[in-house]
Amino acid sequence: MASLATIRGLHKAYVMGDETVHALDGVDLNFDRGEYIAILGPSGSGKSTLMHILGFMDTPTKGSILFEGEEVSDLSADRRAWYRSNRVGFVFQSFNLLPRLSVLENVALPLLYREDFTEDAREEAAKIALERVGMSHRLTHRPTQLSGGERQRVAIARAIVARPAIVFADEPTGNLDVKNVDRILDLLGSLLAEGITVVVVTHDLSVAAKAKRVISMRAGQVQEDRRQ
Amino acid sequence: MKLLIRIRAAVINGLRELRANKVRSLLSMSGIILGVASLVAMVTVVQGMVGNFRQFVDAMGGIEKITVEKQALPKEQEHLAELSEGLTLRDVEQIKATIPIVRYVSPEARVGFEKLVWEGREVNTMINGVTPDYLPVAKRWVDPSQGRFISDLDILHKTDVCVLGSSIVAELFPPNVDPLGKVIRVKGKRFVVIGLLNNIEAQGMEIRSASGKGKGGGGMWRWRNSGVYIPISTATSKFNGNDRLSGLGLQVASGDDLNYAVEQVERTLLQTHNGLKDFTLTTNEQTLEDFRKTEVAFKLSLGGVAGISLFIGGIGIMNVMLASINERIREIGVRKAVGARGSDLFLQFLSEAAVISVLGGLIGLVVSMGIVSIMNYVLMQAVPTGVVSKFDWIIMVQGLSFSVVVGLIAGVYPAIRAASLDPIEALRHE
Repeated sequence: MASLATIRGLHKAYVMGDETVHALDGVDLNFDRGEYIAILGPSGSGKSTLMHILGFMDTPTKGSILFEGEEVSDLSADRRAWYRSNRVGFVFQSFNLLPRLSVLENVALPLLYREDFTEDAREEAAKIALERVGMSHRLTHRPTQLSGGERQRVAIARAIVARPAIVFADEPTGNLDVKNVDRILDLLGSLLAEGITVVVVTHDLSVAAKAKRVISMRAGQVQEDRRQ
Repeated sequence: MKLLIRIRAAVINGLRELRANKVRSLLSMSGIILGVASLVAMVTVVQGMVGNFRQFVDAMGGIEKITVEKQALPKEQEHLAELSEGLTLRDVEQIKATIPIVRYVSPEARVGFEKLVWEGREVNTMINGVTPDYLPVAKRWVDPSQGRFISDLDILHKTDVCVLGSSIVAELFPPNVDPLGKVIRVKGKRFVVIGLLNNIEAQGMEIRSASGKGKGGGGMWRWRNSGVYIPISTATSKFNGNDRLSGLGLQVASGDDLNYAVEQVERTLLQTHNGLKDFTLTTNEQTLEDFRKTEVAFKLSLGGVAGISLFIGGIGIMNVMLASINERIREIGVRKAVGARGSDLFLQFLSEAAVISVLGGLIGLVVSMGIVSIMNYVLMQAVPTGVVSKFDWIIMVQGLSFSVVVGLIAGVYPAIRAASLDPIEALRHE
């Protein structure tokens, strides 16, 4: 499979008071296109930091990241915002839908910050994404009118609306009942067919079990990188 | 163009936020509403008062006028009285010939307070002998439909014609009679009415007449509208029997030349009067000085009101914007996570502040109309001849722009805060 991102010698250190915390301590990894990856680890293991850096929300202290063939470890804030709106999607544990916007508006939100989308094109793309997750019947509803599973499906639609190369899901099933857990994980898994790399960040073994590749992290380092 | 699209989207978003938080938005607008309302109302009312004052100074002949009047000689010079002829037309000629900055010289020969008679109707009023220069010096005119004023030919031929003040017309003629061409009698002599002076009450300013005080209104406007004007040569030859003048009205080209002109006129008159100071010169300068001081005081207090409004309105908006950002930290995190740049969020929150201030400003304008209406009502109860303040769209536009500037300034800091939030921290915010 073609490589999407390659990271070499990634370090991230935070200064907290007198102490320096090494959230990432020399991580080397390669992500292919269309891979289903779970990053597993207890809290403080560095998995969220890795997701934030790979998701262009943060920058590493040291190391290199080749994303789609380009070095992206030291981008400006605006350039990282460009990657977030064009190449990356996020799914959060607590859905993070904006309560005052309708389902359709929530899904169209990432396109609002893209200059190549008119209002009509945004709406059209959002409708397609909602159809993809089976939520076309709830376009005008507010997030508060939806169940947890429905909200997460809307959140997935928002993550894929801009046709990203990679989707990060941070504990995507943490707030869902058992019935919905499988449906959401299956939905995430189905994105692979479209060439999207799916990275699920979790501490739940059963969630990680759905992935084709499990990266276990501990103390800022990759402990195990296993394909299953 | 792209920026315009972004601004449009940000403004729509701002309106949505306002609708979602109606009470909070109204509270945040309250400072701007009060600020703009008080500012616009104050400026409007003060402009009305300043207008009133200007009209008053104008009615006194304006700031460019010098009045020369006869004055009794001091006791120690009384025995020299024969040396001076008093004010005469020679003084007029001399002033015209030697002092170019004096634009008009209007000699007046007062005949006195006399009885006018027309078909058995009578009225007592002042008879003045004047020249055509009376009009520019007194800032009066004769509307073309109301005949004409005294001309140079009238003076040359000492014609028996007269021009009437509007209140005399109202008292001497029944309403359905056109006074023009009618012959009236003054001290047994017949005069043809050739024109009617403009009515001061109808000069574009709304002066409220005191009700129930007789025809023609009350106060200073009453005497300004009375009087009969005849050619000065007719007055001196047919009534007074000498060519002595009762006074001169002079108009200087510019108010700035006033003091210089006063000096020159005094020097010239002392020469023609053989060094005797049997005249006195007065100007409206003291009135003008008071007017200027009042204007400055008003402007300073308005500046103070504007400053306080700015402060209160701005703090109100900034406070609410900061509170709003605190409530929406997570939303900011989400927006950043899906690709919003710092500048997008800056624009979004600045637009919200602008929308609050524009709406607040508009409501403030409506409130100011109410305040001015109430103040007009109170003013009219207290001073029946007071000038009513009128709304001026320029003041309203200024008030509104003022509120927008306040909103934008107050919105900058909260918008910068929103723009600079770290997306990861923001998403973690509970």
